[in-house]
Amino acid sequence: MNKKEILKLAKGFRGRAKNCIRIARERVEKALQYSYRDRRNKKRDMRSLWIQRINAGTRQHGVNYGNFMHGLMKENIQLNRKVLSEISMREPYSFKALVDISRNAFPGNKNVVLPTRKADISINV
Amino acid sequence: MAILCASTSTIFSSSERTSFGSLKKTIPSNQSSFLGFFPVAALSKPGSVLPTTLSFSKRDFRVCFQDLSLVPENQRWMFEESEADGPDIWNNTWYPKAKDHINTEKTWYIVDATDKILGRLASTIAVHIRGKNLATYTPSVDMGAFVIVVNAEKVAVSGKKRTQKLYRRHSGRPGGMKVETFNQLQQRIPERIIEHAVRGMLPKGRLGRALFNHLKVYKGPDHPHDAQKPIELPIRDKRVQKQR
Repeated sequence: MNKKEILKLAKGFRGRAKNCIRIARERVEKALQYSYRDRRNKKRDMRSLWIQRINAGTRQHGVNYGNFMHGLMKENIQLNRKVLSEISMREPYSFKALVDISRNAFPGNKNVVLPTRKADISINV
Repeated sequence: MAILCASTSTIFSSSERTSFGSLKKTIPSNQSSFLGFFPVAALSKPGSVLPTTLSFSKRDFRVCFQDLSLVPENQRWMFEESEADGPDIWNNTWYPKAKDHINTEKTWYIVDATDKILGRLASTIAVHIRGKNLATYTPSVDMGAFVIVVNAEKVAVSGKKRTQKLYRRHSGRPGGMKVETFNQLQQRIPERIIEHAVRGMLPKGRLGRALFNHLKVYKGPDHPHDAQKPIELPIRDKRVQKQR
């Protein structure tokens, strides 16, 4: 890339990095490396954000994220975390219905499954 | 569930849910301009009561734009085909705009620190200040609430911490380490104990320092924030109360 392209990419940088080609070249190279890495990190960060939001939403109903997802898996509800987080923000009543479904499918560790009851649960599933 | 976008109403049956818009407790009339839902006065919510109805305040889903689902015909050329019905809310992750975290409209909580275990109380306070209990949590934005702590001098600790827990600070000069016990600090500046505990649980950085300013600790039972009408802080920790 020639100098003009580099300085164009260096817009908004701090100090001499936006003006002087020698410094700008280094910073632009680094910036491009970061953007390559972060295109992959962004997917991870987004998923983590969705999980945090779902966790907050389900804890308002007394269920934590792990038990909630386990219940959904048991019921074979294949909504992904992105959609679940949007539902938890915009459609609280639908989200509560999902939490209830999950709670019915998987009540949580407090109701410890006794050996004698395993047969019943397997029949339901 | 009166949500603005017409597209959402097609996902689940909308007719039943428009009647559920009544769960909202108080909707100040001066704010309904961009909320766009139907402020029904009746509060009847049949069936199970949600444990924290506060979570369903309008603040949590004041997320939507102005209703663009009815773009006028003569303006349709300005929008792309995919956006003609309004922005896509289901394929893009929501990010709060400025109007979603206005400080003057945040919830204020109050908690009495009498005989509450210090760390457990501070943990709950930090969660509420950060906003991690809300479904609209965003790490880069201050979505949390304000918390008032009263009776700060009566906070409790277990074990021998009262005489053995040390608070250290350093002035920066050689030999400038100052050490105090819990008891001594409680005699001197009791608010600092709770502030120190909560500050350690908030993020360290610019946002964390701004969040710390949302904590208000007072020594006696009075506080000057009656105008904000604080509500009781819901604590879910079962072991926060000191056992006598």
